[in-house]
Amino acid sequence: MLHGYGGHILRVDLTSGKILREKTDPDYMLEVIGGRGLNSRRLYDELKRDVDPLSEENMLLIGVGPLTGSLFSTSAYMTISGKSPLTGILGDSAAGGFFGPEIKYAGYDQLIFTGKSERLSYVYICDDHVEIRDAQHLAGQDIFHTTAMIRKELKENNLQIAAIGPAGENLVRYSIVACNNSRVCGRTGMGCLFGSKNIKAVVVKGSGMVSVADPLKFMELCKVIDNRILEHPEYQERHELGSTLLMKALNGLGILPVNHFQKGMAPYVDKISGQTLAKNYKVKNKGCFNCNINCSRYYITSDVEGEGPEYETLCSFSSRIGSDDLEFALKMNHYLNRMGLDSLSTGETIGWAMECVEKGIFDKTDFDGLDFTWGNMKTVEKILGMIIAQEGIGAEFAKGTRYLADKMGKGSEKYALHVKGLDVICGDPRGIKAFGLTYAIASRGADHLRAEPFFELTNRFEEAEKRFGTRDAADRLSNNGKAALVEFTERQALLTDCLTMCKNVGLSMDVLDFELAADLLRAGTGLKFTQERVNKSLRQTITNDRLMNIDFGITAKDDTLPHRFTHEPLLEGASKNQVVPVHDLVKDYYKIKGWDADGVP
Amino acid sequence: MLIIDANKCSGCRRCETHCSFYHSGKTGHLGARIKVEKIEITGVDFPVVCHQCKEHYCTKCPREAISITDRGSIEISPTLCDLCGACETLCPIGAIQIYNDVPHVCDLCGGAPKCVDACEMDAILYDPDIKQTISLDGFKKKTKKMTPAEKRHAYAQQESQQLRENWLKDRRE
Repeated sequence: MLHGYGGHILRVDLTSGKILREKTDPDYMLEVIGGRGLNSRRLYDELKRDVDPLSEENMLLIGVGPLTGSLFSTSAYMTISGKSPLTGILGDSAAGGFFGPEIKYAGYDQLIFTGKSERLSYVYICDDHVEIRDAQHLAGQDIFHTTAMIRKELKENNLQIAAIGPAGENLVRYSIVACNNSRVCGRTGMGCLFGSKNIKAVVVKGSGMVSVADPLKFMELCKVIDNRILEHPEYQERHELGSTLLMKALNGLGILPVNHFQKGMAPYVDKISGQTLAKNYKVKNKGCFNCNINCSRYYITSDVEGEGPEYETLCSFSSRIGSDDLEFALKMNHYLNRMGLDSLSTGETIGWAMECVEKGIFDKTDFDGLDFTWGNMKTVEKILGMIIAQEGIGAEFAKGTRYLADKMGKGSEKYALHVKGLDVICGDPRGIKAFGLTYAIASRGADHLRAEPFFELTNRFEEAEKRFGTRDAADRLSNNGKAALVEFTERQALLTDCLTMCKNVGLSMDVLDFELAADLLRAGTGLKFTQERVNKSLRQTITNDRLMNIDFGITAKDDTLPHRFTHEPLLEGASKNQVVPVHDLVKDYYKIKGWDADGVP
Repeated sequence: MLIIDANKCSGCRRCETHCSFYHSGKTGHLGARIKVEKIEITGVDFPVVCHQCKEHYCTKCPREAISITDRGSIEISPTLCDLCGACETLCPIGAIQIYNDVPHVCDLCGGAPKCVDACEMDAILYDPDIKQTISLDGFKKKTKKMTPAEKRHAYAQQESQQLRENWLKDRRE
C-alpha cells in the first residue's frame, strides 16, 4: 500500500467528458515528490509547448503532495499549474485553506483537466464519483454566490470549492481561483485558465484518510516542526498580524512601494498598517488547515467583512497606488476576492496608469475619461468594473500591464513593472538584493515565492558564513553571496511547494530543512527518500522548468528587472541610494547553477 | 467535559487532525471525533463535539451498547453495537457519526484530550469536573431527519448567533 499519497491521478477530458483514474506510480513520485514538482513534471512531459494558453490544448493541473492533509503542520496547500494566459510561460499558483487536504481525502494526488467543456460546467469529485455538471445557472455569479449556490445544490456545507468569478469567465488574464471564498490562487491567471476551459468550479469532497508509513516516527518529526514554529522569535507577531506586519516592517527598511515604487516610505504608514487593521477591524484569527500560527484574520468594516487581507493586497490597494485609506483597501480586498481578480496584477496596472498620468505621458482622454491621479478611489472602482466586464479601456487593462504598456507605447513601457509579463510584488528589490535576483530569475516571472530569500533580512551572519561562505548573504544591501542564497532558498521554496507547506513557515521562518524533510517523507510514505534524493529531484524540477520556459521563448534577456530597480536609486529612507546590479547577480546565479552565459542548463 | 470557545476558534481543524491521528494513526475529517463546522461567509468556525448533554439522548441505544463513563464521556461497546445507526439519529448535534464501521464519538482520549493540546488558540478547554451541564432539549426537535453533518451545521449556526452579534456590535457601533 502506498502511504502518504492519495493513491490516484484523476484525468478529466472536458471535451469528450472522459474520466480516467490512474494509480499513482511510486517511482514517478520519488522523482517529483508532489505538489508543484508533480505539476511541473507533468507539464514538462505532456504539454505541447506551442499551444495558445487559452486553447483547449492547454492543461490545467491541480497537484498536492504526500504530506498534504496529514499531521504535518501547515500542510494545507495545493498548486494549480498550466501555461499562463498572462505571461505565456510556465504558470502556477498555490493556495492554502482546505482544498488541498480534501483532494487527498478523496484519494487523489493530482487532478488533470484537458480539453474544453462545451458549456459552463463545474466538476464535482466525491471520492470515486466524478461528475461534470452543468453550471450555466452560475454564469456571471461572483465567487461567494457561486460557492453558496453549489453548496445549496449539492445539499452539503462541508465541500471544498475552488471557483472563479466573472473576471475568470470573462478571461481577464490575471483572474484568480478562490477556495471556499478566501484562500486564493492569485498569480499567473489560473482563473482565466479555468474560464478558458469553461470550468466555473472544481468541487471536492473526500471521506478517506491520509495514512503514513511509520506513524510514531512521523508524529515525532511533526513535533519537531511544531516546536520550531512555536519557539520562533517571530511567532507572536506573525500570529497577531500575519503578513500585514510587512507594511510597517518594509516601511522601516525603506522598501514599501509608494506611488508605484517611486518612493520606499509612506509618511502615513500608521494609517494603513497591519497593527491599525488589527486594532480597528479584526475580530479573530483564522487559520489554514492544521496550522498552529493562524496568521489570517477575519475583519469587519462598516460595509464589508471577510478574511484577510494579506500584505500584497493591502499594499497594492493603499500605498502602491498612493492611497492612505485602509477601509478602501479592505473593501477592495473583498471586491477582488468576490469578482476574482489578482490584487497584485490589478494594482500594478492601476499604479502604472497613475504614474503615466503623473509623468504626463497620458491623460484622461487616453483612459476613457478616467482620472488616474494618485489614490483616486472612484477611478479605481470604475476601472475594476471595466476590467472585469472587459469594457472600453478595461479590456486592454484586462490583458496585463506588459500588454497594456506595449500597446499604448510612448515610453510608458519603462514604467510597466513586470518581469516576463508577471507584475512585480509589493517589495522594492532595491533594498533587498536577493529578492531582486529572485524576481529576475523566477520561473513564473517577478515573484518572491520562487525563492523568498527572507534569510537576507535576518542578520544571521554566522549562519550565512556557514551556509553560503560569506556573512554578506545575511546583509540585505550586499550583493555578495546572494546568488548562493537564492540557489539554496529556491530549492527550499520548491520543497515547501512539493510538501504543500506554508512558505511563511517553511521558508521565511526557516523551519524546514532538507534532512528533516527527507525524514518526514520517508516516515510518511515509506519510499526511499533521502536528502540526496530529495535535492536531486528539486534540482531536476528547477532545470525542467527552465528548459520548458526556454521552449516558451525565454532567454537570458528576460532574466532582468524593470529599469527603475536597476537605474533609479531610492532617494530616502533605510535603502537610500540603492539599486540592484541585476546583471551581475544573474551571472553569478547562472554560474552556481552550472548554466551557460545564455542561461541554458 | 470539553468546553468550546468558538470566539477563539480559527477554524484550522488542528483538533480534528490530532484527534483522528491519535485514534487511528491516520488523518481525515471523518476520522475525527471533534468536527469543525466552518461557515466562511460569516467567519464562524465552530468545533462540534460531544457535550455530555444532560439528556444523554444516545443512551437510548436499542442494543444498550452505550454507557457513560466516570469522566462523563460516552462509551460504546464494540461487542453490543451492531451499527444500527440509532445513536447518529438520537444525538441532536451530530457528535456521533459512524465511519468505517465504528461510531465515532469523543472519548476524551482517556482523560488527556489531544484536541486541547493541539489547539494553539485556546478554543478548547478540558474541565473534568464539569459534566452534564448543557441541555440540548431546545435544539433536539429541530434536527429530526437531519444527517449528522446537517445537524452540526445547524447547531453551529444557532450557537454562533450571539458571537456574530458581538462582533458586529464591536466593529460597527
